[in-house]
Amino acid sequence: MTKLSLTINGRPYGPVEVRDELSMNDFLREYLGMTGTKFGCGAAQCLSCAVIVDDPDGTSYTSPTCVASAASFDGKAIRTVEGLARDGELSALQKAFIRHFAFQCGYCTAGFLNEGQVLLERLAKAPVKRADLENTIAEALDGHICRCTGYIKYHEAVRDVILADSRRYLMANQ
Amino acid sequence: MRPSRREFLNWVSASGIALSLARLGSVEAAGLPPRASLPGRANWNPAANGAGRVDGTAKVTGAKLYASDFRAADLPGWPANTSHAMLIRAPDATHVYLGMDIARLGGAMKPSVVVTSADLDKIGTRVPEFYTGDLFCPLGKTPLYLGQPVGLLIFETFDAFDQARLALRDGTFVRFGEETGPVAMPSYGAYRFTRVAGPTPEAPDVYSPILAGWVSPGRSQNAPLPIWSPAAKDTEASYAKAAVHGERIRAELAAKNPNVLVLDREFETQSVDPMFLEPETGLAWYSRNSGSLELVLGVQSPYEAAESIAHLLGEARGPFKPARINTQFTYMGGGFGGRDHTPFVLYVALAAMFFPGHPVRLAHDRYQQFQGGIKRHAFKMRSRIGVDRSTGKIQAFAADHVLDGGGLANFSVNVATVGATAAIGIYDVPKVDVTTVAVHSRGVTAGSMRGYGTLQTMTALEALVDEVAAALPLDPIEFRRRNALAPKGRTMTGNPYGVSVRTTEILDKLEKHPIWQQRAQQKSAAAQGMLVGTGVACVTKDYGTGADCSLGRVELSPDGKVTIYCDHTEMGNGIGTALANRVAIHLGAVADEVSVARVDTYDALGLVTSGDPYTMDQKTQDAAEKNPRWVPAISSATSASIGAHVGTHSAAEAARVIFRFGLWPAALELWRIAANDPRAKDWEKAQWKDGQLVMPGLAPLPLPALAASAHARNLVTGAVAHSFSRWEWSRARFPLLGEQYRAEIDALALRRGNGKFERINRVSVKFPPTDNNRIGTSYTSMCGTLVRIEIERATGALRIAKAYSVFECGQALVPEVVMGQAQGGFAMGVGYALLETLPPFESGPGNGQWNLGQYLVARGSDLPLHDLEIEMLPPLTPDEPPKGMAEVVMVPVVPAILNAIFDATGRRFRSLPVTANLLKGVLA
Amino acid sequence: MKSELRFQFAVAVLAVATSMFAGYAVSQTAPQSLASPESFASISDTDARSAAMFTELGKVLTHPRCTNCHPATDRPRQGDEGRLHQPPVTRGADGHGLAAMRCSTCHKHANFEPGRMPGHPEWHLAPREMAWEGKTVAEICAQLKDPARNGGRKLEELIHHIGEDTLVGWAWAPGAGRSPVPGTQKQAGALVEAWVKTGAACPAQ
Repeated sequence: MTKLSLTINGRPYGPVEVRDELSMNDFLREYLGMTGTKFGCGAAQCLSCAVIVDDPDGTSYTSPTCVASAASFDGKAIRTVEGLARDGELSALQKAFIRHFAFQCGYCTAGFLNEGQVLLERLAKAPVKRADLENTIAEALDGHICRCTGYIKYHEAVRDVILADSRRYLMANQ
Repeated sequence: MRPSRREFLNWVSASGIALSLARLGSVEAAGLPPRASLPGRANWNPAANGAGRVDGTAKVTGAKLYASDFRAADLPGWPANTSHAMLIRAPDATHVYLGMDIARLGGAMKPSVVVTSADLDKIGTRVPEFYTGDLFCPLGKTPLYLGQPVGLLIFETFDAFDQARLALRDGTFVRFGEETGPVAMPSYGAYRFTRVAGPTPEAPDVYSPILAGWVSPGRSQNAPLPIWSPAAKDTEASYAKAAVHGERIRAELAAKNPNVLVLDREFETQSVDPMFLEPETGLAWYSRNSGSLELVLGVQSPYEAAESIAHLLGEARGPFKPARINTQFTYMGGGFGGRDHTPFVLYVALAAMFFPGHPVRLAHDRYQQFQGGIKRHAFKMRSRIGVDRSTGKIQAFAADHVLDGGGLANFSVNVATVGATAAIGIYDVPKVDVTTVAVHSRGVTAGSMRGYGTLQTMTALEALVDEVAAALPLDPIEFRRRNALAPKGRTMTGNPYGVSVRTTEILDKLEKHPIWQQRAQQKSAAAQGMLVGTGVACVTKDYGTGADCSLGRVELSPDGKVTIYCDHTEMGNGIGTALANRVAIHLGAVADEVSVARVDTYDALGLVTSGDPYTMDQKTQDAAEKNPRWVPAISSATSASIGAHVGTHSAAEAARVIFRFGLWPAALELWRIAANDPRAKDWEKAQWKDGQLVMPGLAPLPLPALAASAHARNLVTGAVAHSFSRWEWSRARFPLLGEQYRAEIDALALRRGNGKFERINRVSVKFPPTDNNRIGTSYTSMCGTLVRIEIERATGALRIAKAYSVFECGQALVPEVVMGQAQGGFAMGVGYALLETLPPFESGPGNGQWNLGQYLVARGSDLPLHDLEIEMLPPLTPDEPPKGMAEVVMVPVVPAILNAIFDATGRRFRSLPVTANLLKGVLA
Repeated sequence: MKSELRFQFAVAVLAVATSMFAGYAVSQTAPQSLASPESFASISDTDARSAAMFTELGKVLTHPRCTNCHPATDRPRQGDEGRLHQPPVTRGADGHGLAAMRCSTCHKHANFEPGRMPGHPEWHLAPREMAWEGKTVAEICAQLKDPARNGGRKLEELIHHIGEDTLVGWAWAPGAGRSPVPGTQKQAGALVEAWVKTGAACPAQ
């Protein structure tokens, strides 16, 4: 057993005793009822279960939750799809996903949103050249499986958000 | 044709279990209830101005939508805690099953209940006919198929369940004894489709399934495969007649004739998984106090699921027979046919019945979904085609198909017949003879996955046609043009299509496209170590099953808000948004409350049914239809690309009635146009513009004003409709406001003002003739695809450099969703052609060890994300109804890739998938 | 309910007694052993003995537990079949993965059995020049002796690397569903040591 404390979407949880075999996915879905984070394969293959981990040094990355213990998230701060909108206002990426009809069944959407959000935040700190943008998006999203859409509209939506604020996400004079 | 099981005369089932479906409480703070109306009146509606789907906001905010999202605590009135069940399946189907050794589940891991075959016997469950076979393998029997359930373990707490599943994961606790080999079973069904055209296209056919009916060979006692010869012992005369024609066609193909090019080829396709992203999940709670079984399920066939569960428990003893079954159907994380008529729901119900008082959740993990979920049929095909060398016209085609249906029949027979009747694709062939048989095997059950049957047979055909064109030689597109079935031409079953046929237009588009125009130049310009090739394919694909229906209810509030209920389901197909858009054509506003997968809101119609709509004879139908509440079928699965065409039809017709008898008379009053004014009959000239009803020379009227007026004057403000299609719509007349209102519906109920819905009995009805059951399809959509590929010689790595798909679908209700479906179909086609495969038996998914990683689906990096062009042809006429398109867009992708591989490598691959390793092997 | 439950358990117990056929095969094969350096004493020729010991060590070095992360390309492999790693990932600038997919996001500090996920704090790919996948034991031997292709290590350092490094040691405890490399890490270390001390001769082929 591990005493687990963590922050989810800015709100502290715990300390709570968890079994070391309990996956983070089950902790979110079965214990907290936060089912926006999905369970797809249980093998880190589809990444529909990915959440955002915010490190203290200001960097963020996505992590699948199905292959990681809840205990391994002790002391961490994470964001899930339920926390992406602020005060009822959808994020730029959420709006773009809707506008582009990026998803169909929507089961992979949380994973794509989190991955896209981390990409935006990474680019805001380390912009890329315009010429490298498509590859950057493709590389970032490639771990995520979508069975309905063929991915194109997801990629277009992410690109649109970046190009709409290119000074922020792209290197100047590119 | 899709023979179905039919045992109930009524939605309130014969077993005495009331399938009451009262709505549970209101919206929960934690999320949306399973029957949520989206987007909800208080919320932003992305669909209102075409800026998204009605479910858009819910899906980007992680709202509870899917069956797997709900726990007991989310449901008002349910106990707080959720228990968890584990379905144990046999990883072996050649040895005697001896039981489960769960001794290792001590202490905290001990299950509260274990359910096995013996328990089902004790309580007296009945297996619905469609799922014939033991629900659990009994002790001492060899499992019927790999992955057959052997038991259900139920754990009171999640902790116990979670620890137990890890302890049981190696599978070794399922014990087997003596080797018996696989269980032999008769084939699921066999058919022969033979057509001999008359001497000219106008002349009647000499023989066709439409003329003579569908025929099956006699069953041989000992062999799994039928004997196709007309001379076989137990052959019926009707079959022998077809077989004699068929054998003559085959003899012609076998005869040496220098003027005819004959190719005789085999082709094999593999088993694949629908791989919808949300594994099958259900939640159920049986309260012995109330006698009520409550379920939350996500399936493509909600009505069927409820009926099946009622049948399962209909004769159960005492406390195991619920008095009421209340099912809430949710959104689905993908379907692709894999959630249509799935036996999974039966186990969800059983879990609740055996642990009364406790809400129980049954959820597949991905390994279990691979092990137990419905698959696509693997086909073995042999095709012979004869082509006149001088004219390049196909003279005859003969083929034999053998389908591996896996462990349970499911839709195997339908997949076989759909595949067979699609075997000549877009072509006009005067002599056709196709045999098909679906056999049982110990593999995982196969069913009606996206493009079922046609994907397999048209892939084989389009690859064969490419070979024919090369052998003649004739340009592949010119060959297709010469042989394309004309719009009025007859299909293999002998009927013409009832909808637009635009093959030539699509071939022209393909021919003019730069990918095709530049194919030689691109090939010769291949970089060092690379092979470049271009492929084309063009198909036409049925939509509908031959007995499809929908239910729709539309309500207009006094402030002009629209609410829609529909029995069809949302699995990503955008049915909710399509409903909203189609209803808006009549009511001028996009609904802000759309509730899908609802089978419970049409009581006012009081529908009854009987018989099987697929096999009924005319006399029976004529007699049955005298009851004005009788319909051939009440509710259909959302399958076979019928969402837009059938799923939205009833709601659209309901909306039409509201306009005609609610908004239009309200408008006349506001415009002060008297009833005898000739303009009073000009409803068809009125148009909606920006939420206002516009008539030349009159003041535009905003919808809210019209709605308020309709309510105030007690005009029609709500309608419920049912529609049925057997390759054409049923039509009926209803007495309304002193006139005979005709519509393509067969049942109607109306609400006036704020009153209650009241049924309007039809005064006459014309159901499509039962002879239409001999049609293969009359609804069809076309799609053509071009691909250019590059193969790295050293590694066999294949990249799709450019691709183009062009298709037609009548009026697209939500063009963005249609385009998304086409892109998704392309991706699934690529997976099927190049990546996805499941070995059939012990090394396949039935062993419980399969997951993604080993099973590869197309990822972004496998696809030409920036080089895929999709063209949707505009409707042929502005009022062309929507046509199904979600399957056809996947089909030509596969043969186009195969043909491109041939162009690049000179090798014809006749089995799927063509992996990089295979390519590397032939290029070495 | 209760009596039914007991009945089931009774059946289950019976089943154990008569069970002959155990479920399905997991990919794990029976643990192989490694021969000790002493067992090569009968080979009198030092070079031959040294080479023979390396050949024995080759059982470890060519095992998928090793070659999957000493891949021939930039993409790791996985499983006993050595299939390409899914989801697609490549070594990245530092061998720890791509910016959007670092090894450590899935591969945490230790194996996580419920998720069948292998882990180690230093999980990463061997550098490109240390690729072993698809190579013969002789080729790997030559490679190991070449500081340019062995991580700049002296031969003596290889004894520690193979015999004691904990990431290397993971290969002997890879978790369920993955077969471990033969023997023990200590035995492998002993073989390396004996091989080095006998002149680090390479097998001919």
